[in-house]
Amino acid sequence: MSRLWRRNRHWVTPALFLLPGLILFGTVILAASIETVWISLHDWDGIGAKTWVGLANYIELADDPQFYVSLKNNVIWLLIFMLAPPIGLALALIVNQQIRGMRILKSLFFVPLVLATVTVGVVFGWVYDPNFGLLQLLFGAFGGTAPALLSDETFVTFAVAAAGLWPQIAFCMILFLAGLNSLNDDLIAAGRVDGARGWRMLRHVVLPQLSQVGFIAIAVTVIGALRSFDMIAVMTSGGPYGSCTVLAYQMYQESIFSYRFGYGAAIATVLFVIMIVFIAWYLNGLIKAERSNA
Amino acid sequence: MTTKLAALSTTRRRFLKGTGAALAASATGGLCLPALAQAQEITIISNLGNAQQREILQRLATEFEAKSGAKVVINNMDHEAHKTAIRSYLVVGAPDICFWFSGNRMKAFVAKGLFDDISDLFARENYKSVLGATTSAVTVGDKQYGLPMGGILWGLFYRKDVFAQHNWTPPKDWKEFLAFGEAAKSANLVPISMGTKELWPAGGWFDHMNLRINGLDKHIALMDGKVQYTDPMLTPVFDKWNDLLKAGFFSPSHSSFGWEQAGAALAQKKAAMMDLGGFVRSAFPEADLPQLAYAPFPEIVPGVARYEDFSVNSIHVPANAKNRQGARDFLAYFYKPENLGAFLAAEGAIPPRNDCPPSHDPLVNAAVEELKKVVATSQYYDRDTDPDMAQEGMTALQEFMVKPDRRDQILGRLEKTRKRIFG
Repeated sequence: MSRLWRRNRHWVTPALFLLPGLILFGTVILAASIETVWISLHDWDGIGAKTWVGLANYIELADDPQFYVSLKNNVIWLLIFMLAPPIGLALALIVNQQIRGMRILKSLFFVPLVLATVTVGVVFGWVYDPNFGLLQLLFGAFGGTAPALLSDETFVTFAVAAAGLWPQIAFCMILFLAGLNSLNDDLIAAGRVDGARGWRMLRHVVLPQLSQVGFIAIAVTVIGALRSFDMIAVMTSGGPYGSCTVLAYQMYQESIFSYRFGYGAAIATVLFVIMIVFIAWYLNGLIKAERSNA
Repeated sequence: MTTKLAALSTTRRRFLKGTGAALAASATGGLCLPALAQAQEITIISNLGNAQQREILQRLATEFEAKSGAKVVINNMDHEAHKTAIRSYLVVGAPDICFWFSGNRMKAFVAKGLFDDISDLFARENYKSVLGATTSAVTVGDKQYGLPMGGILWGLFYRKDVFAQHNWTPPKDWKEFLAFGEAAKSANLVPISMGTKELWPAGGWFDHMNLRINGLDKHIALMDGKVQYTDPMLTPVFDKWNDLLKAGFFSPSHSSFGWEQAGAALAQKKAAMMDLGGFVRSAFPEADLPQLAYAPFPEIVPGVARYEDFSVNSIHVPANAKNRQGARDFLAYFYKPENLGAFLAAEGAIPPRNDCPPSHDPLVNAAVEELKKVVATSQYYDRDTDPDMAQEGMTALQEFMVKPDRRDQILGRLEKTRKRIFG
């Protein structure tokens, strides 16, 4: 017994420790993803029997104007969200100064992260309201009329993504703040001895040490942009006339409102393929970083 | 030492028990409470937005509890969110009673076997004799799957004081309607208040124009997918609607807000009329209610008989309910004429039973009188057509209201959807 144990423990122990996680990941993520792909090959109303339709859902998707609207909006979200890491970094550098009262400022910037995204969506919905919103009050103060951002098909996605950007900036700021706190003091002291200060200190001493954090911030932001759903559901329900839907929202709408689970699953699969590109890039970066550290 | 150990183990066991209970409670989210309580428990999911109605339902439940000894649990949901939630809770975690809409929207669930056949309750309480023709709203193949609740007669609502102030009368035909719109605009009022964020008001406006132009049979044929959306019969509907849009008849940026805000604009004298049901009253302060009045949608094509949207809400027993007998007993109590009458009076709906006490609400009485002049009724765009079609259709109609120039493209898209759904 004990010999058996000794001979095998080098793999049994880690296997046992990994098992719970693997089981959870396998059922919740892997099996569900595979089932989604399987459903996408069927015509299914979510309750009754499934009918095999092969690639028909994907063929219809390729011909669906709404799909391209969603895809375009996903790209807009992605581009707008890319503002979050640099703005978050700038804020982190400002708030990290040893100035009196900075702590209050820091916690104020932290606020959107505490709020549920749905709350942020509702509040921004009020801000944009053409009748009584803050935006209208601002425009009104200068004698103008605020555009009804949420009813304008060209601006609506920008308006909703801007609302989503707010908590995302706070999140990036926190990441960079954590990074700034773990800077290597020796390096900074050495830089000071060499006469680096201000911009050159930031550019050549501080930023290189933040590259790991920056990478994580970008990756998380990309995934956050692609996942965007709750803001849209709360602020516009994808409207006006579907012009601010993204793939995740269209999937929800097709499955839940139109009872087309097969079609919804096809959209989910496409979104998954797009995400996997970014996830692969992210994992690749992580592994590289781990190797260089080791 | 031993005592200490025993004490320790008890605490740990107690802790485990506590955690287990907490986990179970959080996992079931309160919907599955009956599993823990005694058998005689009746759960209801309500979608009532009207506070007064929720109160009355609660009062009736308490009365029923005292009478029968059963426990009644009411879970209130947001009206719009409930439309989504029902699709999952009917399959997993069904309550014993739920609120829904009769007609096609009920049939969708009946076809999937998710609503219980309550013909036995109909026979036991002899409902057919007091419901008359309304029975058909909850009937599929000779069997009844729900109880019809309040009816909503759709039409144009306005404020009497605003109309008196400008010396207006409700427009009777299309010419008068166009003239009225111009008059409203020159009085700095929005002629027709509308909020299309939730899409359906656009569907209703389409219904009313189509019923006035093409009549009920052709309208229902379209709803059933038997007429193409590119059919020339719809040309005058969209032509005339386009005239209204070009003339600025509707609330600006109407897709930003829902009907509540549009109703508030009517109440605040910022708009002249609004296309809705009697529930528009909930947007009015109590003191202003006597000013609210109903006018039928104006005639468009002379000679077309008067057809209206008359939608009937309903209440059901899910097929997966745990306490189907208890649900029937509660429904029988709830559906007594005096109880149902009080419940429906609070929302200004028209009672389906002919033996409910006469309403104190002049709006309800007016609607009952108006209904007598109506030749036949449909329900509403999203209640008459397939849910998938309704979703696409209402989105498209909203788009048409914002971008009327895209009409051909929009109708082409709708026709593609119709073909996919109805073949």
